[in-house]
Amino acid sequence: MILNLDKWPEDAVAAIDWQGEQLTYGELRDFAVKTEHLMPSRSLFFLLVENNVGGIAWTIGNICAGNVPLILNAHMDEELYKSLHELYRPPFVCVPTGMADKYPYETVATSYGYTLMKTGCEACQMNDELSHLLPTSGSTGSPKLVRHKYDNIEAAALNISTFFELTEVDRPLMVLPLYYTMGLSMVFSHLYVGATVLITNLSMTDRRFWAFMKEQHATSFTGVPYSYEILNLMRFFRMDLPDLTLLTQGGGKMPRELNLKFAEWCRNTGRRWIATYGQSECTARMAWLPSKWAVEKVGSIGIAVPNGELSLIDMEGNPITTPGVEGEMCYRGKNVTMGYASNREDLLLGDERNGFIRTGDLAYFDEDGCYYIVGRMGRFLKLFGMRVGLDECENKIKSKFPGIECACTGTDDKMLVYLTDESYKDKVKDELVARLKLVASSIEVHIINEIPKNDTGKILYTRLADK
Amino acid sequence: MDNTQKYNEAFVHVFGAQADDLNDEYGKDTVQEWDSVHQLSLVAELEEAFDIMLDPEDIMELTSYKNGKELLKKYDIEL
Repeated sequence: MILNLDKWPEDAVAAIDWQGEQLTYGELRDFAVKTEHLMPSRSLFFLLVENNVGGIAWTIGNICAGNVPLILNAHMDEELYKSLHELYRPPFVCVPTGMADKYPYETVATSYGYTLMKTGCEACQMNDELSHLLPTSGSTGSPKLVRHKYDNIEAAALNISTFFELTEVDRPLMVLPLYYTMGLSMVFSHLYVGATVLITNLSMTDRRFWAFMKEQHATSFTGVPYSYEILNLMRFFRMDLPDLTLLTQGGGKMPRELNLKFAEWCRNTGRRWIATYGQSECTARMAWLPSKWAVEKVGSIGIAVPNGELSLIDMEGNPITTPGVEGEMCYRGKNVTMGYASNREDLLLGDERNGFIRTGDLAYFDEDGCYYIVGRMGRFLKLFGMRVGLDECENKIKSKFPGIECACTGTDDKMLVYLTDESYKDKVKDELVARLKLVASSIEVHIINEIPKNDTGKILYTRLADK
Repeated sequence: MDNTQKYNEAFVHVFGAQADDLNDEYGKDTVQEWDSVHQLSLVAELEEAFDIMLDPEDIMELTSYKNGKELLKKYDIEL
């Protein structure tokens, strides 16, 4: 069975959520068998999840059963849902039961708080290796999807559980969404060792969140940089959390001071602090900084995960073997996904990467072989740990305000939006805040005379700041 | 700028709200974007604007425009 799920006792607990729902390994296995009969074999379906036990049951159960879920946020933007639905025409959708009456479909089954419905769309031909699909972008939610295969799941589970040294006594607190690659990889790696995932969708500013963490004796916490900013602001260092022994971070570079604060606190209190690096294109984690280096090499992403390999290439594509020289970071390993899908026909495609990917990140390594990310080669920002596609933001603005001239750029601290028409200033900002659910102050709108472009009409982003 | 203006300004910065939108109904239940990211940003804005330091308990309580005003009273700030 996938993820070694058949290895654990019937009554061992696989997941608990804050509402008190619980799922044992036995129940998960039974559910996997049951779901095989709910849909024709190898069915494509949209799985709209919340962070709860049902979300885990439906995700893992269906992957085991050979159905292929596109895992999405149950509270995603409706426009985006529509465009995904039109593009991929899933024969089935599964949503939290409380939301089921919004859909005009025939109900097939209701289980673990979710309702499976039949859309009437015809069956979709898919590649035999395809296991599940995730959107490429956290908040802008591009209709472009990452195609995962079964081997990716096994590889990610093995690699991640190995370097975190996970065992069946672990009780990780999961706040990252299930539809987000790092959240999902937490589930894979912990189920693989028979651990108990404590899953919650509570806000970290909610008192019930802290009660759940303490009452359920969470042993580890995984977050993105902003999660740790929240912990810091919540005066985390003064809290009494004796069960918590491992803190892990991924999802973008953490501000140095904050990283150091957590690294030192962990060192001083006998805990492990492990910073990681990953991409959804590689089933999450690709590198980790061993806790012995957490303070000394703060800011480094460390070394490749077990069974993986990092390397650098220069502009001409030649390997870089000297410490301190910058180049594009590449990764090789079984967790590299098959490629992207942009439409339904793409789901038939096989593995286009063969275990190798150019990350699009500029990096160098030190004498110990630890990598440091310098910047991004691609057009993405990480605002509060959520990947925001700049091209997608431009498209959203342009489709909402036809004829508008705009260009998006920025840093991981702030997105800069350049417009030529002053009258759209507030409207564009409001649109981005509403659609991306970002903090308004993380978006800055500048009015310039014209958007610099080359002869073929491509925006010259590097010249925007000059205007 | 008086205290009410300073208080409103924090909501404008965090939510992109207009001053006219702000009333006692404005909060976690009525504002879709109101999540922990926004709540903590609001905390930071208020701490800076009024030169105060909120306790974790207060941070957890800051779930509406109305609650925020009540909280500030504890720090001797009248709106």
